[in-house]
Amino acid sequence: MDRWKQYGGLLGLTIVCLGAGLWGFTSTGGALPWAKRSAQTLQRGVQESGGALVDFGRGIVVAGPIRKGGMMLEFLGLVGLLAIVGVGLYVYADHYHGLDEQERAAK
Amino acid sequence: MAHIHLGEGSFPLWALALWTGLGIVLISTVVYRVRKGGIKTNQIALAGIGAAASFAIFQLNIPVWGGIHMNLTGLVGILAGPLLGALIAVVVNIFSAALGHGAVGLLGANILVNASEAIVAYYAFRTLVRMEWDVFPAGASAATLGLSAGAILMGAIIVISGVNGSALPRADLTVAVAGLVGLNLGVAVIEGILTGFVVQFLVSVRPDLVGLVGRVGSEDSSGVTA
Repeated sequence: MDRWKQYGGLLGLTIVCLGAGLWGFTSTGGALPWAKRSAQTLQRGVQESGGALVDFGRGIVVAGPIRKGGMMLEFLGLVGLLAIVGVGLYVYADHYHGLDEQERAAK
Repeated sequence: MAHIHLGEGSFPLWALALWTGLGIVLISTVVYRVRKGGIKTNQIALAGIGAAASFAIFQLNIPVWGGIHMNLTGLVGILAGPLLGALIAVVVNIFSAALGHGAVGLLGANILVNASEAIVAYYAFRTLVRMEWDVFPAGASAATLGLSAGAILMGAIIVISGVNGSALPRADLTVAVAGLVGLNLGVAVIEGILTGFVVQFLVSVRPDLVGLVGRVGSEDSSGVTA
Protein backbone atom coordinates (compact mmCIF):
# COMPACT_ATOMS: atom_id res chain seq x y z
CA MET A 1 0.00 0.00 0.00
CA ASP A 2 1.20 3.55 -0.71
CA ARG A 3 3.12 5.00 2.19
CA TRP A 4 1.21 8.28 2.10
CA LYS A 5 -2.02 6.35 2.62
CA GLN A 6 -0.58 4.53 5.63
CA TYR A 7 0.71 7.67 7.30
CA GLY A 8 -2.36 9.63 6.22
CA GLY A 9 -4.53 7.04 7.96
CA LEU A 10 -2.42 7.24 11.09
CA LEU A 11 -2.52 11.05 10.96
CA GLY A 12 -6.32 11.00 10.63
CA LEU A 13 -6.59 8.63 13.59
CA THR A 14 -4.27 10.87 15.60
CA ILE A 15 -6.28 14.02 14.85
CA VAL A 16 -9.61 12.36 15.74
CA CYS A 17 -8.26 10.87 18.97
CA LEU A 18 -6.47 14.04 20.10
CA GLY A 19 -9.63 16.07 19.36
CA ALA A 20 -11.70 13.64 21.43
CA GLY A 21 -9.07 13.74 24.16
CA LEU A 22 -9.09 17.53 24.29
CA TRP A 23 -12.88 17.59 24.49
CA GLY A 24 -12.83 14.93 27.19
CA PHE A 25 -10.16 16.82 29.12
CA THR A 26 -12.12 20.08 29.27
CA SER A 27 -15.56 18.53 29.76
CA THR A 28 -14.58 16.28 32.66
CA GLY A 29 -12.93 18.76 34.97
CA GLY A 30 -9.69 19.85 33.28
CA ALA A 31 -6.34 19.08 34.89
CA LEU A 32 -7.35 16.32 37.32
CA PRO A 33 -5.80 12.92 38.00
CA TRP A 34 -7.76 10.12 36.34
CA ALA A 35 -9.23 8.53 39.48
CA LYS A 36 -10.45 11.86 40.84
CA ARG A 37 -11.78 12.90 37.41
CA SER A 38 -13.57 9.60 37.00
CA ALA A 39 -15.27 9.66 40.43
CA GLN A 40 -16.20 13.34 40.15
CA THR A 41 -17.59 13.11 36.62
CA LEU A 42 -19.67 10.02 37.30
CA GLN A 43 -21.15 11.54 40.45
CA ARG A 44 -21.75 15.13 39.29
CA GLY A 45 -21.80 14.95 35.50
CA VAL A 46 -19.72 16.97 33.04
CA GLN A 47 -18.01 20.08 34.38
CA GLU A 48 -16.16 22.43 32.02
CA SER A 49 -12.72 23.31 33.28
CA GLY A 50 -9.20 23.89 31.98
CA GLY A 51 -5.62 23.67 33.16
CA ALA A 52 -2.29 22.57 31.75
CA LEU A 53 -2.38 19.60 29.36
CA VAL A 54 1.12 18.66 30.46
CA ASP A 55 2.46 19.42 33.93
CA PHE A 56 6.10 18.38 34.17
CA GLY A 57 6.33 19.90 37.65
CA ARG A 58 4.15 17.10 38.97
CA GLY A 59 6.51 14.43 37.68
CA ILE A 60 5.81 10.74 37.31
CA VAL A 61 4.29 9.33 40.49
CA VAL A 62 3.12 5.89 41.56
CA ALA A 63 -0.68 5.46 41.64
CA GLY A 64 -2.33 7.02 44.70
CA PRO A 65 -3.73 3.84 46.31
CA ILE A 66 -0.26 2.26 46.31
CA ARG A 67 1.66 5.37 47.35
CA LYS A 68 -0.75 6.50 50.03
CA GLY A 69 -1.53 2.98 51.19
CA GLY A 70 2.11 2.27 52.04
CA MET A 71 2.37 -0.50 49.43
CA MET A 72 5.52 0.73 47.69
CA LEU A 73 7.64 -2.19 48.89
CA GLU A 74 5.03 -4.71 47.71
CA PHE A 75 4.78 -2.87 44.37
CA LEU A 76 8.52 -2.91 43.79
CA GLY A 77 8.68 -6.55 44.91
CA LEU A 78 6.01 -7.54 42.40
CA VAL A 79 7.70 -5.62 39.59
CA GLY A 80 10.99 -7.35 40.45
CA LEU A 81 9.35 -10.76 40.60
CA LEU A 82 7.58 -10.29 37.27
CA ALA A 83 10.78 -8.99 35.67
CA ILE A 84 12.73 -12.04 36.89
CA VAL A 85 10.03 -14.43 35.64
CA GLY A 86 9.88 -12.50 32.34
CA VAL A 87 13.61 -12.58 31.72
CA GLY A 88 13.67 -16.25 32.78
CA LEU A 89 10.98 -17.08 30.24
CA TYR A 90 12.82 -15.10 27.57
CA VAL A 91 16.07 -16.99 28.22
CA TYR A 92 14.22 -20.32 28.32
CA ALA A 93 12.32 -19.59 25.10
CA ASP A 94 15.47 -18.38 23.34
CA HIS A 95 17.35 -21.53 24.35
CA TYR A 96 14.40 -23.77 23.42
CA HIS A 97 14.09 -22.05 20.03
CA GLY A 98 17.82 -22.53 19.44
CA LEU A 99 17.54 -26.25 20.24
CA ASP A 100 14.65 -26.58 17.81
CA GLU A 101 16.74 -25.05 15.05
CA GLN A 102 19.72 -27.30 15.83
CA GLU A 103 17.50 -30.39 15.66
CA ARG A 104 16.04 -29.24 12.37
CA ALA A 105 19.53 -28.60 10.96
CA ALA A 106 20.71 -32.05 12.13
CA LYS A 107 17.80 -33.72 10.35
CA MET B 1 -5.21 3.26 29.50
CA ALA B 2 -8.86 2.31 29.88
CA HIS B 3 -9.45 1.08 33.40
CA ILE B 4 -12.53 1.47 35.58
CA HIS B 5 -11.36 3.38 38.64
CA LEU B 6 -14.37 3.07 40.88
CA GLY B 7 -14.51 1.82 44.45
CA GLU B 8 -16.05 -1.41 45.73
CA GLY B 9 -19.85 -1.36 45.57
CA SER B 10 -19.99 1.17 42.73
CA PHE B 11 -21.85 -1.21 40.43
CA PRO B 12 -25.17 -2.92 41.26
CA LEU B 13 -24.93 -6.62 42.11
CA TRP B 14 -26.46 -7.83 38.83
CA ALA B 15 -23.86 -5.86 36.84
CA LEU B 16 -21.06 -7.24 38.99
CA ALA B 17 -22.31 -10.76 38.36
CA LEU B 18 -22.71 -10.10 34.63
CA TRP B 19 -19.20 -8.67 34.03
CA THR B 20 -17.56 -11.24 36.29
CA GLY B 21 -19.40 -14.03 34.45
CA LEU B 22 -18.38 -12.67 31.04
CA GLY B 23 -14.80 -12.29 32.26
CA ILE B 24 -14.77 -15.92 33.40
CA VAL B 25 -16.18 -17.07 30.05
CA LEU B 26 -13.52 -15.09 28.16
CA ILE B 27 -10.64 -16.41 30.25
CA SER B 28 -11.98 -19.98 30.15
CA THR B 29 -12.12 -19.77 26.35
CA VAL B 30 -8.58 -18.38 26.23
CA VAL B 31 -7.21 -21.11 28.52
CA TYR B 32 -9.01 -23.79 26.48
CA ARG B 33 -7.54 -22.46 23.23
CA VAL B 34 -4.06 -22.20 24.73
CA ARG B 35 -4.25 -25.80 25.94
CA LYS B 36 -5.60 -27.01 22.61
CA GLY B 37 -3.41 -25.01 20.24
CA GLY B 38 -0.26 -24.49 22.30
CA ILE B 39 1.84 -21.36 22.37
CA LYS B 40 4.58 -20.27 19.98
CA THR B 41 8.06 -19.96 21.46
CA ASN B 42 8.44 -16.32 20.50
CA GLN B 43 5.20 -15.50 22.31
CA ILE B 44 6.38 -17.17 25.54
CA ALA B 45 9.52 -15.06 25.39
CA LEU B 46 7.61 -11.82 25.27
CA ALA B 47 4.62 -12.69 27.47
CA GLY B 48 6.61 -12.65 30.72
CA ILE B 49 8.42 -9.42 29.94
CA GLY B 50 5.19 -7.91 28.63
CA ALA B 51 3.41 -8.72 31.91
CA ALA B 52 6.20 -7.12 33.96
CA ALA B 53 6.32 -3.99 31.80
CA SER B 54 2.53 -3.66 31.67
CA PHE B 55 2.16 -4.08 35.43
CA ALA B 56 4.91 -1.56 36.18
CA ILE B 57 3.64 1.10 33.78
CA PHE B 58 0.06 0.49 34.92
CA GLN B 59 0.96 1.91 38.32
CA LEU B 60 2.84 4.98 37.10
CA ASN B 61 0.82 8.17 36.84
CA ILE B 62 2.30 10.47 34.21
CA PRO B 63 1.61 14.24 34.21
CA VAL B 64 -0.26 14.41 30.88
CA TRP B 65 -3.99 15.24 30.51
CA GLY B 66 -4.09 15.97 34.26
CA GLY B 67 -2.57 12.64 35.31
CA ILE B 68 -3.06 9.33 33.50
CA HIS B 69 -1.42 5.94 33.37
CA MET B 70 -0.66 3.77 30.36
CA ASN B 71 -1.40 0.06 30.04
CA LEU B 72 0.82 -1.22 27.22
CA THR B 73 -1.94 -3.73 26.50
CA GLY B 74 -1.81 -2.85 22.79
CA LEU B 75 1.91 -3.64 22.73
CA VAL B 76 1.37 -6.80 24.76
CA GLY B 77 -1.35 -7.95 22.36
CA ILE B 78 0.80 -7.33 19.28
CA LEU B 79 3.83 -9.11 20.75
CA ALA B 80 2.32 -11.92 22.81
CA GLY B 81 -0.82 -12.54 20.77
CA PRO B 82 -4.48 -12.36 21.72
CA LEU B 83 -4.50 -15.40 24.02
CA LEU B 84 -1.46 -14.58 26.12
CA GLY B 85 -2.40 -10.90 25.89
CA ALA B 86 -5.72 -11.66 27.58
CA LEU B 87 -3.98 -13.74 30.26
CA ILE B 88 -1.52 -10.91 30.89
CA ALA B 89 -4.51 -8.57 31.37
CA VAL B 90 -5.75 -10.97 34.07
CA VAL B 91 -2.39 -11.05 35.85
CA VAL B 92 -1.93 -7.27 35.73
CA ASN B 93 -5.45 -6.57 36.97
CA ILE B 94 -5.26 -9.09 39.82
CA PHE B 95 -1.94 -7.73 41.07
CA SER B 96 -3.16 -4.13 40.67
CA ALA B 97 -6.36 -4.82 42.60
CA ALA B 98 -4.33 -6.57 45.29
CA LEU B 99 -2.40 -3.33 45.76
CA GLY B 100 -5.59 -1.25 45.87
CA HIS B 101 -5.39 0.07 42.28
CA GLY B 102 -8.82 -0.94 40.98
CA ALA B 103 -11.62 -2.63 42.89
CA VAL B 104 -11.57 -6.41 43.37
CA GLY B 105 -15.29 -6.50 42.53
CA LEU B 106 -14.58 -4.87 39.17
CA LEU B 107 -11.91 -7.39 38.15
CA GLY B 108 -14.24 -9.04 35.64
CA ALA B 109 -15.12 -5.72 33.99
CA ASN B 110 -11.51 -4.49 33.94
CA ILE B 111 -10.25 -7.80 32.53
CA LEU B 112 -12.81 -7.55 29.73
CA VAL B 113 -11.68 -3.99 28.97
CA ASN B 114 -7.93 -4.71 28.95
CA ALA B 115 -8.21 -8.09 27.23
CA SER B 116 -10.25 -6.48 24.44
CA GLU B 117 -7.44 -3.94 23.94
CA ALA B 118 -4.86 -6.70 23.47
CA ILE B 119 -7.11 -8.80 21.22
CA VAL B 120 -8.18 -5.92 18.95
CA ALA B 121 -4.61 -4.58 18.71
CA TYR B 122 -3.28 -8.00 17.69
CA TYR B 123 -5.83 -8.60 14.93
CA ALA B 124 -5.61 -5.00 13.69
CA PHE B 125 -1.80 -5.30 13.47
CA ARG B 126 -1.93 -8.60 11.59
CA THR B 127 -4.55 -7.21 9.20
CA LEU B 128 -2.51 -4.07 8.48
CA VAL B 129 0.69 -6.09 7.99
CA ARG B 130 -1.15 -8.34 5.54
CA MET B 131 -2.19 -5.17 3.71
CA GLU B 132 1.55 -4.42 3.28
CA TRP B 133 1.68 -1.57 5.79
CA ASP B 134 5.08 -0.61 7.20
CA VAL B 135 5.70 -1.77 10.75
CA PHE B 136 5.54 1.63 12.46
CA PRO B 137 2.20 2.87 11.09
CA ALA B 138 0.75 -0.63 11.47
CA GLY B 139 1.87 -0.92 15.11
CA ALA B 140 0.82 2.61 16.03
CA SER B 141 -2.58 2.36 14.33
CA ALA B 142 -3.29 -1.12 15.67
CA ALA B 143 -2.42 -0.18 19.25
CA THR B 144 -4.50 2.99 18.98
CA LEU B 145 -7.46 1.03 17.63
CA GLY B 146 -7.11 -1.60 20.36
CA LEU B 147 -6.91 0.96 23.14
CA SER B 148 -9.82 2.89 21.64
CA ALA B 149 -11.91 -0.29 21.58
CA GLY B 150 -11.08 -0.82 25.26
CA ALA B 151 -12.04 2.77 26.09
CA ILE B 152 -15.39 2.43 24.33
CA LEU B 153 -16.06 -0.90 26.05
CA MET B 154 -15.20 0.70 29.39
CA GLY B 155 -17.75 3.46 28.71
CA ALA B 156 -20.39 0.95 27.63
CA ILE B 157 -19.87 -1.13 30.78
CA ILE B 158 -20.33 1.92 33.03
CA VAL B 159 -23.41 3.18 31.17
CA ILE B 160 -25.06 -0.27 31.07
CA SER B 161 -24.30 -0.91 34.75
CA GLY B 162 -25.15 2.51 36.16
CA VAL B 163 -23.24 3.80 39.17
CA ASN B 164 -24.51 3.30 42.72
CA GLY B 165 -24.84 6.61 44.56
CA SER B 166 -24.84 8.70 41.39
CA ALA B 167 -27.89 10.93 41.06
CA LEU B 168 -27.26 11.46 37.35
CA PRO B 169 -30.04 10.37 35.00
CA ARG B 170 -28.89 7.77 32.44
CA ALA B 171 -28.66 10.39 29.64
CA ASP B 172 -26.41 12.68 31.72
CA LEU B 173 -24.36 9.71 32.84
CA THR B 174 -23.87 8.77 29.19
CA VAL B 175 -22.57 12.26 28.36
CA ALA B 176 -20.26 12.18 31.38
CA VAL B 177 -18.94 8.76 30.41
CA ALA B 178 -18.48 9.95 26.81
CA GLY B 179 -16.15 12.65 28.16
CA LEU B 180 -14.11 10.02 29.98
CA VAL B 181 -13.99 7.85 26.86
CA GLY B 182 -12.89 10.90 24.83
CA LEU B 183 -9.99 11.52 27.21
CA ASN B 184 -9.03 7.86 26.92
CA LEU B 185 -8.91 8.19 23.13
CA GLY B 186 -6.46 11.07 23.54
CA VAL B 187 -4.26 8.85 25.68
CA ALA B 188 -4.73 5.91 23.31
CA VAL B 189 -3.12 7.69 20.38
CA ILE B 190 -0.10 8.78 22.45
CA GLU B 191 0.37 5.24 23.74
CA GLY B 192 -0.28 3.92 20.23
CA ILE B 193 2.55 5.98 18.73
CA LEU B 194 4.93 4.85 21.49
CA THR B 195 3.88 1.28 20.75
CA GLY B 196 4.62 1.81 17.06
CA PHE B 197 8.19 2.86 17.88
CA VAL B 198 8.72 -0.11 20.21
CA VAL B 199 7.39 -2.62 17.65
CA GLN B 200 9.49 -1.02 14.90
CA PHE B 201 12.60 -1.31 17.09
CA LEU B 202 11.87 -4.94 18.00
CA VAL B 203 11.31 -5.87 14.38
CA SER B 204 14.65 -4.31 13.46
CA VAL B 205 16.62 -6.25 16.11
CA ARG B 206 14.60 -9.47 16.59
CA PRO B 207 11.97 -9.87 13.85
CA ASP B 208 11.45 -13.49 14.92
CA LEU B 209 9.98 -12.33 18.23
CA VAL B 210 7.27 -10.38 16.42
CA GLY B 211 6.72 -13.11 13.83
CA LEU B 212 7.84 -10.88 10.96
CA VAL B 213 11.03 -12.56 9.79
CA GLY B 214 10.10 -12.29 6.11
CA ARG B 215 9.22 -8.62 6.43
CA VAL B 216 12.67 -7.33 7.30
CA GLY B 217 14.20 -8.10 3.93
CA SER B 218 11.32 -6.57 2.01
CA GLU B 219 11.41 -3.40 4.14
CA ASP B 220 15.17 -3.03 3.77
CA SER B 221 14.84 -3.28 0.03
CA SER B 222 12.37 -0.41 0.05
CA GLY B 223 14.74 1.77 2.01
CA VAL B 224 13.04 1.63 5.42
CA THR B 225 15.32 1.26 8.41
CA ALA B 226 14.60 1.35 12.12
